[in-house]
This record gives sequence, C-alpha cells and structure tokens, in this order.
Amino acid sequence: MSVTRRDFLIGSAALAAGTVVTAPFLLPKYHSDQRPKRSRVAVLHAQQYSQELDQLLAAGLRLFPINVTGKTVVLKPNLVDYIPGNAINTHPLLVLAAAESFRRLGAKSVLVAEGPGHQRDTQLVLAQSGYEQSLREEKIRFVDLNRDELIRTPLHASYTGMKDLWLPRTVLEADFLVSMPKIKAHHWSGVTLSMKNMFGVVPGARYGWPKNILHWKGIQESILDVCATVPICFVIADGIVAMEGNGPLNGTPRPLGRVVLADDPVAADATCARLMGFDPSRIVHVREGARFLGNAAPGFIDQVAEAVAPPAIPFRVVPEFLNLYTH
Amino acid sequence: MPTVTTDAIALSNVLAELAQRQLPCGGWAALASSSQPAIEPTCYAALALGSLPVGDIERAQDFLLRTQNPNGSWPVVPGDDQEGGWVTSLAVIALRDLVPSISARLQGFHWLLNCSGKESNWLWRWKFRTADRHVRFDPDKYGWPWFPDTVSWVVPTAFAILALNQIPCSCGDLERIPVRVDCGIQMLFDRVCPGGGWNAGNGVVYGRPLAPHADDTAIALLALSDRGQDPIVQRAVQYLERVAPTLTAPWSLAWAILALAAHRRPIAPLHDSLSALPDLSSTEDTGTLALACLALDYSRALSAFGVTG
Repeated sequence: MSVTRRDFLIGSAALAAGTVVTAPFLLPKYHSDQRPKRSRVAVLHAQQYSQELDQLLAAGLRLFPINVTGKTVVLKPNLVDYIPGNAINTHPLLVLAAAESFRRLGAKSVLVAEGPGHQRDTQLVLAQSGYEQSLREEKIRFVDLNRDELIRTPLHASYTGMKDLWLPRTVLEADFLVSMPKIKAHHWSGVTLSMKNMFGVVPGARYGWPKNILHWKGIQESILDVCATVPICFVIADGIVAMEGNGPLNGTPRPLGRVVLADDPVAADATCARLMGFDPSRIVHVREGARFLGNAAPGFIDQVAEAVAPPAIPFRVVPEFLNLYTH
Repeated sequence: MPTVTTDAIALSNVLAELAQRQLPCGGWAALASSSQPAIEPTCYAALALGSLPVGDIERAQDFLLRTQNPNGSWPVVPGDDQEGGWVTSLAVIALRDLVPSISARLQGFHWLLNCSGKESNWLWRWKFRTADRHVRFDPDKYGWPWFPDTVSWVVPTAFAILALNQIPCSCGDLERIPVRVDCGIQMLFDRVCPGGGWNAGNGVVYGRPLAPHADDTAIALLALSDRGQDPIVQRAVQYLERVAPTLTAPWSLAWAILALAAHRRPIAPLHDSLSALPDLSSTEDTGTLALACLALDYSRALSAFGVTG
C-alpha cells in the first residue's frame, strides 16, 4: 500500500483534530496527586450520644499520629436544617467531644464553622439542633460560613469547568480542617459523607440557598473540585444514628452505632460506604477521588479499632442509586 | 396597619450598634468580626438608618452607587464578578429615596427585567418536563435566580418583585414589568409547600413534601402583600402566625414581624419578644442586627420596602 502526500496530510489533520477533541477527556482533571502512601481509618463503637463520647474520641485520636499543637482547628459539622425526629445533622455532643479532644491535644484554638445549605437562618438551626447553648457553655466560637469574608480562590481541579470559587476566609486560613459529616444516604449524590460535607464551605450569600451552582455544575464534579481546593486534614464521621433512604433531609434514621475517624477523606468515605453496604467504587466522587485525593482500596488503608463489616441489611437508597449495593 | 408601642430603648441600642459597625468605605460587613463590606447587610442597614440621625446614610448610599456593576447589577461583595446577583433587588430598594440614584436604579431595574431563572429557556423547560422530575414544579412559571444562569428560587424572586413594584412608571422597555412580575408571582404560588408557606423553593422532592421556613415565607409574603385574599397567601400567613411565637432567632423573628404587619396581623407579642431577646445588640450577624432595627420600626420599614400594608 502506498501513501500519497495527500493521504498523509489528511491523516495527520484527522489525528490532530482527534487529539484536540479527545485530549480534554484524557488529561487528568486534577492539578496534583495528594494521596498519602497509606491511610488510616478507625471505626469506633458507640451506641448512643452521651458525655462518654469525650473519652471515646480522645482514645480514638490517640490511634493517629496527628499534631495540632499551636494550630487553629476548624471543625466542620454537617448542619443543614432542623426537622424534629430526623437524623439530619452531626450531633452536637460529638462536635463538643471533638473540640475538647483537640484542645487537650494542644490546639491554639478550636472553632466550629458551617454554612447550612437549606436554611438561611443559621442561628435558628444552631438553636433548634442544640448547638447554640452547647457552644456557648463550652466557649467555642461558631463562624457562619454562608456570611464569612470571601476570598476568590482558584480551584485545584477542573471537573466542573469552573476556574474559581469565592470561599470563606475561616476555612482557607485553618491550619487543621476536620470534616465531621453525618453518615447519610443522599438522593442526588448517593451518599453524603466527609467529601460531600464540604459543600457547606461554599457560601450561600454568594451562591444562594441551596448552593445551586454546585448542582448545575454537577454534584459529583463539584465535590471533587471543592475537596481538591480545600484539603480535609481529618474526618470524624457521625454514624451513631445515621440516615437511609431519601436523605439528606427526609430519610429515615438508621442506628449504625459507629463513629469513623480517618486521616484521609477518601479512605473515610470508602469505609463509611462499606459500613452502609455500598461498593465505594460505584460512588463516582469516591472512585474518582481515589485517583488523586486519597485511598479507597482496602490494601492502602490501615484499619484500626473495629473491623469493617457490611450491615446485614444495607442502607436504603432512592431508586437511582440501587447500583451502589455491593451485591 | 397594627399598632404597637415601639420599645425606644431597644431600638436605639441596636441602631447605635449598627451605626458603630459602619466601615470607613460606607458599607457594612456581613459579620461584626469582618472588615469586608457586603451589599446585602449594607442594604438592610441603609434601610434601617433611613432618615434617622444615626450613622452616615449618605456614605452608605455613596458606597452602593460606587459598587454598581457596569451592566446595572450589583455584586455580592465589591470585587466580585461583574455579572451581578440577587442583591441587585435590595440595592435598588435601598436607594429608593435618593434623587442622584435615579439613573443607577433604572439600570438596576433593566438588569432585573432581563434576568430570569434558567427554566425560562425552552430547552431547560423541556428538560424539567421530561427528564428531571424529582423536584415538583412547573417550569413555565419562572422567577429570578440567586445569580445568572441558574434556576429561580423563592427569596430572589420575592426581592425582585418588591423591587420592580417600586417603579413609578412603566414607560418604554419597562412596560414589560407587570407581565414579568406576574410570572414571578405565579412562580411563588407554584413553589409553595403543600402544608403552606415557603422554603428555598423545593415544595416537594421525591414525592415527599418539605417543610417551610419562617424567613423564606415572610419574604415571599412581603412580596405578596397585595394578594392577601388568595388562599395560598392566607395559608402561608396562618403558618407564619403559628410558628412566629416559637422563634428565638432574631433573623426569622424580624422577617415574620414585617410580613405579619404587612398582612395586618397582630404583632405586639412578637415585637416584645424581639425587643427582649438577650444580647440582641451583640448579634454577630450585621444583617440580622439591621433587620431587627427594621422590625422594631416596622411601619417605616414597610414603607421602605414599598409595602403599604
């Protein structure tokens, strides 16, 4: 077969055009590989919310070589709205226990920060969910991330196509950011765990209630962009009473009796997913996050405290996420 | 309009605190601990101070005029993208008594008139009708988004209606205003929660009715103050009357007072509750502080919002 100069030029042009079209899909969408060589996760047993969570967390944190001495620690719970009887929010007793533990570990300051995604009256959610009084009594400062000072921040990944987001100063200047999600099934993203919990740092005053731009740009993609840009240093996930079904607001409380600690958000979420009876590799943001944010594969996770066992009955989900089940 | 005795001491205390928080640039920050001026708290503060001999209202108005985007909109904070956002409605309301602001307000009205929720586009309407049915709403009824290129929500729609209702004439391009406002009102009616009242704008999701919020309901009711005979409005007022006495947070309580006063409901006990809230003056959120001032002086506030009650 002979190749003419004309054939060669046409072929080259086609190859160049193909490269231009496909390159954006083949190139990595993250700027840097932030994965640790190994990650550590501790699953702790806790049947109820009580003052004993102080001791439980203190003991749990000793399983990790973390150093917060002299650092500003920001605890970011999941605080969305208040509906009596629904397990929507990270329980305040767990947040207080975390604050106390980090203070004992030598943190310069510990504050709690959140920007509720559904309710504009942050003070009302704080009061109704039991945070306001607890934080006041323990002299813990709360920052409303929906109304905090804004800093235009370039994104460190490009899954959404957005170049930057306005993000709150308190979170950007934190030395040690702790994501404290409520373990829940979620009707848009399958699950809401430590990574999805970071939607709360996106300010409502700029982007609205709910944080609509993140839905328009793709929830899974937005989770990845936000987590790449605002690194989570540690995870304390509230699974004592979790939520299944139509979360994040109207699901059913599901007693799980677990608190999950981790030094890697991807490892934390993969473990939580397994505890819910899901295959983490079927959760888009966990699977993609495992390429650059952290470790999801059990071989890269040092499991301490309790073993991870899937529940006899997996968490219920809305029909669109039935594919998350391991079986 | 119901009458209550204004707690002059409570009002003067919060007004004094509000005046003290004014930044050298003339604006106010969202939080007391911040020095970054923001449009939303500045608008509430400017409305609260109004013609009172407290603070520097001229500097506040000058700040608002300085920060307007070239396209007529306002940014959430100075230095933000110049495409504008939902605070545009608040800015044109806050500048209502200022003669030099007429041109700026007109530009703001035009921006509002040309801004709509993404569902106003036929393609997105088709998508919401066919492929995306988990949130129950009628995409033919659209209002205003928090910022361009997203869908309509209750609060920005209500503020836009309040703003556009303040236009003294409907000449030229502004002739479209009544139709646009009516479409926004229909959108509010469509997004109502099944039990009465509004939340951000999701009445039913995955077949489950969602609960209303007091503040969102109150803001919608302010925009619908001339629709008091409508059963949807009446049920929302009933919801707000039921929930308002239980509110302990000044933001929601202040909005509830304004809305119930606009709908001629008794507000004296709520007014007393707001005055008696401990540490009202030390509220970290400056927008809340300004709203408390507005609610404690509600008749002047309603007039500023263009609501006759």
